[in-house]
Formats: sequence, structure tokens, C-alpha cells
Amino acid sequence: MAGLDLDPTQLDRYSRHIIMDDVGPEGQAALLDADVLVVGAGGLGSPVIEYLAAAGVGTLAVVDDDTVERSNLQRQILHRDADVGTPKVDSARRYVTDLNPDVNFEGHAVRLTRENARDLLSDRDFVVDCTDNFGTRYLVNDACVLAGVPFSHGAIYKFEGQALTVTPDGPCYRCVFPEAPEEGTVPDCATAGVLGVLPGTMGCLQATEAVKSILGVGDLLTGRMLHYDAASVGFEEVPIARDPDCPVCGDDPIESVEDVEYTGGCTVA
Amino acid sequence: MHVTVEVVGEDVHEFDVEGASYADLLERVDLSPHEVSVMVDGRPVPEDQPVESEHVTVLRLVQGG
Repeated sequence: MAGLDLDPTQLDRYSRHIIMDDVGPEGQAALLDADVLVVGAGGLGSPVIEYLAAAGVGTLAVVDDDTVERSNLQRQILHRDADVGTPKVDSARRYVTDLNPDVNFEGHAVRLTRENARDLLSDRDFVVDCTDNFGTRYLVNDACVLAGVPFSHGAIYKFEGQALTVTPDGPCYRCVFPEAPEEGTVPDCATAGVLGVLPGTMGCLQATEAVKSILGVGDLLTGRMLHYDAASVGFEEVPIARDPDCPVCGDDPIESVEDVEYTGGCTVA
Repeated sequence: MHVTVEVVGEDVHEFDVEGASYADLLERVDLSPHEVSVMVDGRPVPEDQPVESEHVTVLRLVQGG
């Protein structure tokens, strides 16, 4: 039984998991064996990385080419004042290695691109999309769907958040939003602002989806886009259907992200 | 035709329309086709198509992370 491989320290550290019928020693062993990539170590990525590290996800990879800015610190709780000007993956590494020696941290201080997406995403058990721009968001969707890797989409704006989990047998982000909007038509956090605690709520939902997927328990947020309004404390679900004409998850999909230009509308050629 | 337009996270609007497109509905709720997806039965519909459904869901594109 896999759970017998847990040492006494791990049995203590993860005791509140292990005691749960739906997790148990086997579930905790699955978490320790899991390989998860978090794309973006910002607002959403911070709570995702922190909770997945605490949960004992065995390999936790983070890709982010950004450095910490002082304006990040109102919501990006991985980073400290002293980290301003340093790579975000360095803050993530420090936090994870300080928290949990069971986690093998893999930091990639690069931008996710068409060229490196396959290497970075393909062999993961789960990917968490915590990006802050449409180009990378569509690339994560396309690369994960083509590789058959489940992922959680999350996005935030002022008081509002969205989340959707994409699995190989369900609708993808392009089934909802076939193309990215023209640049400048949808404001980002820098121009519109965002409530500092909002990514905490949405990131925790995404981390929950990752853990559930690894454990194989519960119902994932597939086939429905979750909308959260922090102002009214309201959750709403929008049913999403798989589009057979979707160029990525449909009946005649593209073969590679090389067929897509991840600028402008991220249109499939 | 009586159409219910639900802007997710915002208001629900009721309109009586004849020969309108989905883009016309968006204009009546003061939204641009660039910033939303217009959905019927869980699938996006082209904004320039005539309205054929009595219930339309409008979902905003959000990019922040």
C-alpha cells in the first residue's frame, strides 16, 4: 500500500489529511507523487503555490519571468518588501523550501512561449493557470488540451473572479471565448484595480481543484464557469458546452500550438 | 420576441426585439462585443447573427491574475 511509504514525520505533518476517508494515506501519497505546474506567481499564483506546498505536492513547478514590484505586495502574498526587484520564482522558491522539505521546487524564470510550452506542461499531472494576460492564457489552454493535461483557469477583475477547470473530456476555455479580445479593450489589474483579497479566494478555489484532481475525489469545476462577486458575496455558475467546432478540443483539432499566434486575438490559423 | 439577457455578475435585462442581432442586444446593455462572450445554451453565438433564443447569457472576458 502506497501509504505505508509515509515516514513518521509525514504521518504527523499530513495527519489532518490522512484521517479523512476521502484522502487517507493513499491520497497523501498521491499528492506527494504529484507533479503540478503553476503558471504565474502573482495574485492567483501566491495562494495556489502556498496551499499546494502545504498539501505536500511532491513536485511543484512555477514559471514566471516577472520580478516583484512594490505594487504587487497588496495581493501577491508570496512576496515580501525585501523581494522588490527580485525574480518572483525566487520568492516562491524561498517560501516553498522554508515551508515543506517534502516538496521538490522547480522554478522557471522564463516566459511561457510556444517554443517551451510542450517541455514545461506536457508531463504534468495538473496545471494551474494564474496568468495575467490573454496571450499566455490561451497558450496554457491550447497546450494543456493538446497534451491531455487537466488545468484550472482563474482570472480576476476588481471585485469579480472567474474559474473553470478543463479536463480532456470537457469543454475548454476557447469553447467559451473562442478568441482573445483586441488589445486594450479589456482592462487589466494595473489599469482597473483589483481587491487585494480577491485572488486569495479565487486562488484557493484553483488549488482545491488541483488537489481534488490529484486525489480523484469530488466534482471538478468542469462544464461550468464559476463567477464570484466579492462585493455581494455571490457565486454563480454558467453552464459551458463543448464546441465540436472548437479548433483545440473539437472534432478536428490543431496538432500543435505552432499553428497559433499568441498575440492579438490568439486566432488559430 | 421577448428576450432575457443575463449579464453574469450584473443585471438581468428584458427586451422585446424584432429582427435584432446579438450585437444589438449588447448595445442595449452597453457592452462591446470585444469584452464579452454572448452565449446560448452554453455555447458562444456570433454577435452578428439574428437573435433566435429567448434567453441569452453574457459573460465578460477577464484577464487579471
